[in-house]
Amino acid sequence: MWNYEKRLQYPVKITQTNPQIAQVIISQYGGPDGELAASMRYLAQRYTMPYNTVTGLLTDIGTEELAHFEMICAIVYQLTKNLTPEQIKESGFDKYYVDHTLALWPQAAGGIPFNACEFQSKGDVITDLTEDMAAEQKARTTYDNILRLVKDPDVCDPIRFLRAREIVHFQRFGEALRIAQENLDSRNFYAFNPEFDT
Amino acid sequence: MNTGCKQCMEAYTERQKLLYEIGKIDFVLKELNLYLDTHPYDQQAMASFRQYNTLKNKLVKDYTEQYGPLVLSCVDMDSREWKWAIQDWPWEGGYN
Repeated sequence: MWNYEKRLQYPVKITQTNPQIAQVIISQYGGPDGELAASMRYLAQRYTMPYNTVTGLLTDIGTEELAHFEMICAIVYQLTKNLTPEQIKESGFDKYYVDHTLALWPQAAGGIPFNACEFQSKGDVITDLTEDMAAEQKARTTYDNILRLVKDPDVCDPIRFLRAREIVHFQRFGEALRIAQENLDSRNFYAFNPEFDT
Repeated sequence: MNTGCKQCMEAYTERQKLLYEIGKIDFVLKELNLYLDTHPYDQQAMASFRQYNTLKNKLVKDYTEQYGPLVLSCVDMDSREWKWAIQDWPWEGGYN
C-alpha cells in the first residue's frame, strides 16, 4: 500500500504559461520513456524478483517515479493554466485541448496515448534490470532534449532535478544487477533465469 | 526555486521556506533509502537515515501545527476543520 505526502518532491513554480512547450514536456508523463511507464515497469517487476534487496529498490524507485510524474503534471498544468482560446489556437495546443480541455492525460508529445507496451516485465532478473538501466538512460536523453528546447528558468530548474534523478537511478540499478549476478549460483555460469529455471 | 539562492528565497513565505526545508531533508532520506537498498549493511548510512528521519518528523509536526497536514499520520486533531481537503494541493503554483 501507499501513503500520500501532500507536497511535490521538488518545487514547481512557473509564472509564464507556454502551451507549446507543455506539449513537449507531457511526453515525460505518458510518453515511451516517461515517468508513468518507469513507475509501472519497476512496480510490476517486483513480484517475481528473487532477491529482497532488489525488490526493495524496485519498490522505492517505482514509488519515487510516482512523485516524478506528479511533478511533470504540475509543470504541464502550470504551463497551460488560464489559457485563452486564441492562445490555444496559436500555440497548436488545440489538438490536445479538443479532447482534454486543460486536464492532464498521459500521452506522448506526438499524441500517442500511454500504452503498457512501452515497458516490459519479463520475469528474468538479468533481462529486467538491463531494461531498467536502459530506461533510465532513455529518460535522461529525453530530459536533455527538453532542456535544449526550454529557456524559461522556472521550467528548466525542476526538469534538471528530474534529469539528475535518472542518473542516480541508473547507478542504483547497476548495483542491483551486480547483486543479482553475485547471487546467481556458481554452477549457473550462463545465468539461466533465477525467476524460473533454478 | 534555486537551491541556496538567498535572493530567491526572500520571495518565499515562511510556510514555503519550511516546506522547502522538509523537501531538502526528505531528499537526503530518499538518497539514503535507495543507497541502503543496495548497501543494506552500511552502518554509517543507517545512522544518517535515523538522524535525518528524526529531524524530518519534527519539521513535519511543526509544519502541521502551524499550517496544516502533509501526511495523514500527522494531523492537527484540535482543529475544527479537515484542512487536508480544504487547503490547496501541491501542483498549485504558490504551494511549494
